[in-house]
Amino acid sequence: MPPRRMGLAQGLAVETRGLTKRYSTGVLAVDDLNLRVRTGEVYGFLGPNGAGKTTTLRMLSGLLRPTSGTATVAGGVPGSPGSLARMGAMVETPAFYPYLSGRDNLRVVARYAGVPRSRVEPVLQQVDLTDRARHKFRTYSTGMKQRLGVAAALLKDPELLILDEPTSGLDPQGTVEMRELIKELRHGGRTVLLSSHLLNEVELTCDRVGVIAKGKLVAEGTVDELRARSGGSALLVRATPLDQAQRLLESLLQPSKVQVRDGLFSLAVDPSQAAAINRRLVADGVDVSELRVSEQSLEDVFLQLTEKPQGTGS
Amino acid sequence: MIASLRAESLKTRKRWANWILFGILLLTLLLIGYVVVYVVLSNPPPNFRSPVPARVLKREVFPENLVPNVLAFTSRIGTAIMIILGGLSTASEYGWLTVQTILVQKPSRSAVLLGKLAMLAIVTLLVAVVTLAATALTSYLLMTIDGTSSSWPSATVLLKGFGALWLEFAVWTAFGMLLGIAFRSTAAAIGGGLTYLFVGEDLLGQVFRNTEGVKEVLRFLPGVNAGAVNASFRLTFRNPDTTTQLVDATRGTITLLAYLVAFTVLALLIFRRLDVGSS
Repeated sequence: MPPRRMGLAQGLAVETRGLTKRYSTGVLAVDDLNLRVRTGEVYGFLGPNGAGKTTTLRMLSGLLRPTSGTATVAGGVPGSPGSLARMGAMVETPAFYPYLSGRDNLRVVARYAGVPRSRVEPVLQQVDLTDRARHKFRTYSTGMKQRLGVAAALLKDPELLILDEPTSGLDPQGTVEMRELIKELRHGGRTVLLSSHLLNEVELTCDRVGVIAKGKLVAEGTVDELRARSGGSALLVRATPLDQAQRLLESLLQPSKVQVRDGLFSLAVDPSQAAAINRRLVADGVDVSELRVSEQSLEDVFLQLTEKPQGTGS
Repeated sequence: MIASLRAESLKTRKRWANWILFGILLLTLLLIGYVVVYVVLSNPPPNFRSPVPARVLKREVFPENLVPNVLAFTSRIGTAIMIILGGLSTASEYGWLTVQTILVQKPSRSAVLLGKLAMLAIVTLLVAVVTLAATALTSYLLMTIDGTSSSWPSATVLLKGFGALWLEFAVWTAFGMLLGIAFRSTAAAIGGGLTYLFVGEDLLGQVFRNTEGVKEVLRFLPGVNAGAVNASFRLTFRNPDTTTQLVDATRGTITLLAYLVAFTVLALLIFRRLDVGSS
């Protein structure tokens, strides 16, 4: 399918400038956020619970008014009919009428959205909910509720899809199915903005990631870029005797680049130095029983980034 | 607004709570306001004492008194039910968080609320029509059973009575709707509305009815004004009860219309301005 046209300057589906939200309680939930989601990408909005992800998505959907700053969403002001017509959103929990069936709930949403009734069955099929569509929403499991939420967001066949923690509360099977669904949703050039606190989910589904902590965007880039930015890979060495090996490694490298945990040295050096380090250790009578390169996990990167919020990264 | 109205019509039709409320209104009106009254006054107990004989009082349930009887009966139970209806229509959206599902669709906030208002106007219109029709039928049946004759009110009186009933239903529904948006809680909206009705209007209104100063305030309350409108439709066997009313029917009607507009505008202002899902 040809890419969808967002009609946006510089190909941005979402752009925020200094977006800030301070609640009346004084809590600063989002602080000077500058976010750029490119047209056609799956963007992971990553952060620990309470980091400001949902507040940001609520502002982008027009549910909350920012205290300051501006945002452009799908070519319009958040919450304006023009912007809403081109986006679909599931913010926080999927919220529907408990006394209506899944199908009737989608009919209600379709009427609000000005979408023909004929769109209901295809989206039910897309999220694999046709068999249970006649049952009341209140009888649905968490996974079915999430899928109905995604179906409602898809009714308008939107160019931009905003999904807030779509795998929240799902069992492992449901999580895998939802991930597959998200991968399918990007077809046709659709932009997906996906928030999550699950690193694995973001790593598997997203092209680029923005990390938010305490309301601030602390890093943005591809998963590989983020890994590289946080030190990239490390060299792991298991050697005995431990004291002798440590003295030797600290004299070879700087002490700050040598860390030891459970008898395993972690060396913050270029992996290409592995052979030279091995030769030197053996030459000095140190037995090397293990030598390997360790890729830093996204989890390590995430913890590094979210423990100490810094200035906006890019 | 049309999109919102279409969505509201599906939601309203399929919500059992609405049908139950309507059922309660109709059942209490027909049973207590008509059948029980007729049975008791047809066979008055030995200790029955009244300046008006039971056989005359009984005429309250016959067609000639259709309008005043319906208005008198619905002035409390109908009011309470309409506050609940209005409160449920808006507060539930916050309780279920469906307000955020609605607001991320295409219509603006004003269009969403105006669609809801239009639907409530239609619902109250239908409730008023069906209530009058059902009581007219019951009244006719009771007259036939009694073997007496009675005249129907004139078309003008019927039309005015219907207008009064619809206006009062609409005002109290709008009041409930406003409370639902302001409190964002079904319990608070319904509790607050009923407390105002039974304590503010009824209890305090009766206690301080003849207290100067307070009396002036009471003249502006919606319940007092609705009472004045209702009192202008007189029972055939009673003299007009206008002397006990704090305002006349014309002022009552204008005040009720003003309340309807005020509740609507306030609801719109709050709904448009407030954040959804803030903490």
